[in-house]
Amino acid sequence: MTDAAISVEGLSIDYVVGAGRFHAVTDVSLEVPAGHVVGIVGETGCGKSTLAQAIPRLLPEPPATIGSGRIVFQGIDLVKVPLWKMPALRGTGISMIFQEPLNSLNPAYRVYDQLAEAVHIRRQREAGRSRVDPRPPPPFDYSRRPAPEVGEALSRPIVPAGATGALARKMRERHPELRDEVLDYLRLVRINDPETILELYPHELSGGMRQRVMIAMALSEKPALLIADEPTSALDVTIQAQVLTLMKELIEEVRTSILFISHDLGVIAETADELGVMYAGRLIEFGPVAELFDAPRHPYTKALLRSSPTRYKSDGPLSSIPGAVPNLSRPPPGCRFHPRCPIARPVCRAEPPPALLPADGAGPGHRSACHFAAEVASLP
Amino acid sequence: MRVLRANPLTLVGFVLVAVIVLVAVVITVAPHLLTPYGSDAPTTAYGQAPSWAHPFGTDSGGLDIYSEVLYALPFDLVIAFAIAGIALVVGGALGLVAGFWDRPGTASGVASVVILRITDVFLSFPSLILALAIAVSLGRGVWQLIVAVLLTWWPYYVRLVRGETLAIKHLPYVTAARAAGVTEGRIVLRHVLRNVLEPVIVYFSLDIGTVLVTLSTIGYVGLGVNYPITPEWGSMIATYATAGITTDPWTVFAPGAAIFVTVLAFSLLGDGLRDVLDPRSRRVLAGAGTGGPTSTSPAERQEEAAEVSGEAGELPAVPLGEGSPAP
Repeated sequence: MTDAAISVEGLSIDYVVGAGRFHAVTDVSLEVPAGHVVGIVGETGCGKSTLAQAIPRLLPEPPATIGSGRIVFQGIDLVKVPLWKMPALRGTGISMIFQEPLNSLNPAYRVYDQLAEAVHIRRQREAGRSRVDPRPPPPFDYSRRPAPEVGEALSRPIVPAGATGALARKMRERHPELRDEVLDYLRLVRINDPETILELYPHELSGGMRQRVMIAMALSEKPALLIADEPTSALDVTIQAQVLTLMKELIEEVRTSILFISHDLGVIAETADELGVMYAGRLIEFGPVAELFDAPRHPYTKALLRSSPTRYKSDGPLSSIPGAVPNLSRPPPGCRFHPRCPIARPVCRAEPPPALLPADGAGPGHRSACHFAAEVASLP
Repeated sequence: MRVLRANPLTLVGFVLVAVIVLVAVVITVAPHLLTPYGSDAPTTAYGQAPSWAHPFGTDSGGLDIYSEVLYALPFDLVIAFAIAGIALVVGGALGLVAGFWDRPGTASGVASVVILRITDVFLSFPSLILALAIAVSLGRGVWQLIVAVLLTWWPYYVRLVRGETLAIKHLPYVTAARAAGVTEGRIVLRHVLRNVLEPVIVYFSLDIGTVLVTLSTIGYVGLGVNYPITPEWGSMIATYATAGITTDPWTVFAPGAAIFVTVLAFSLLGDGLRDVLDPRSRRVLAGAGTGGPTSTSPAERQEEAAEVSGEAGELPAVPLGEGSPAP
């Protein structure tokens, strides 16, 4: 328990629109062990992004309301923290990478200014000078999560200093030490020629470069937990592969805890240690990635694996799941997957399956929310 | 500067505004450089048509029209800037607050609604009619004139800034800043305000012209300042139009032309500023002006190169800063 970077317990989130309630996330319990990468997959609208944004309390409330549950981060229940105190916990505590690299950087500022802001915030926190939360340095154990080690080859200046721009010059003179750190982080995300990139505006960068800058921003705060909300979805395939390679390398180097949201099973298979599968607002299966891929214990996971090409399934035609995603303002009674489930029985219609239980015959830590988890293995 | 050269009309607007401001300064500190006649000091020529001595003629009281138009310039400019400026600051601040903190059910949400309903009350009257009505009730005078126009002017800035704020505050980069631990106050000032500024400054520079026209209109119907005691273009036209537009038609030409040129100058400047303030078009314009690299930014080139070799970190440097010549 104490070893978890974050633990979500029975979290339910509704969107209240007019008189209707849209149950985006229902009773989700989840834990990201420190230093682990936990993936969340699910199709569009299953609540994974809502979950991702709810953890650092970034959802607009209203319309979103956190109905019940706890989000425990460093011993604090984030659900009970007043919103005005949240900035002190974001960034250095929980940082986030978003899926729209096009709009996630402020178009009015150069790359340097955006990164320097993040580095500056972290330094203020480390010096205990945050205005929102004037407590001395937060009780993060930095020794367990050492500062990113910039390899020797990377720390060598690739291009001699000589970048231009009046604002950058001014800032550089004022905070020379900030600039060095900003450059380090740009090198960390494998940006070649960081001295030049520093002076550019976001619109002058390609999508892949922007996402690298975003990743550099998030990492420069040395977050205890990094939430990556589909960081590669908006990029085209070659750039996606580059960013993914980068993410994998950084996961090794930085050793921070990561919650990785994606709808791409391949991406998750390559990055995550544990995987959670969400369907219609519920977490339906959770377990170590390899085991979950080899022996899924929920019919939806099985169907999902059969419908996408991964290294776990590379031959034969891809299948589709019959039916459509349920309307979450009136979710089906019982198990939410029963209308589309090949092994549904009357009990599935009547009773919701128990929250995640260790599945029969499955490995440790592999839990599923299905009445007939044991039968899934026999499915085609 | 390169940006200004790229669009000739912007350059015209910029030069015109510079000249107008320069003339206004000179006529205030050293009037004898521009005209031999003092303000409100009659010459011996009465009702004379334009000549070399009096380029725009004189009125029936012997005042040199050219000098009077120049003497009115600083007054008109300062009043226009004061009105638009105060409206910008007051209306803009209210709009920013009303736009950013508009969550219903909170204290700030209520404040936001109150601000907007008061704004609506003012907006529900045609602004010129309202300004005239206030001017009538306050009487003639400089301060009365400023107050009358100002009271009708600020709501437009509230609406403009609020609209822009609403659009910007939901953009991903604001959420990203929030996720990075930036406090709300800093988000408003650094991330939202900076991006609201651009359309607002453009609107402001266009607005200077509109304020001038409104001032002149109020002067024209005889509710403005008292000409010739205080020279002001609108009041000049009003005075001369009633005094003798049929006998001395040149008397109304110069102040009318002065209004036209000044309004035109600020409109052209405003259009140009739109391009200058947007970092996106700034680089493109600057590039167009010098024939430098625009189609491919250094970053894009690097990314393309990275695709070829597959590993960005091992690439040779692409030493391209801004303004370096195209290869």
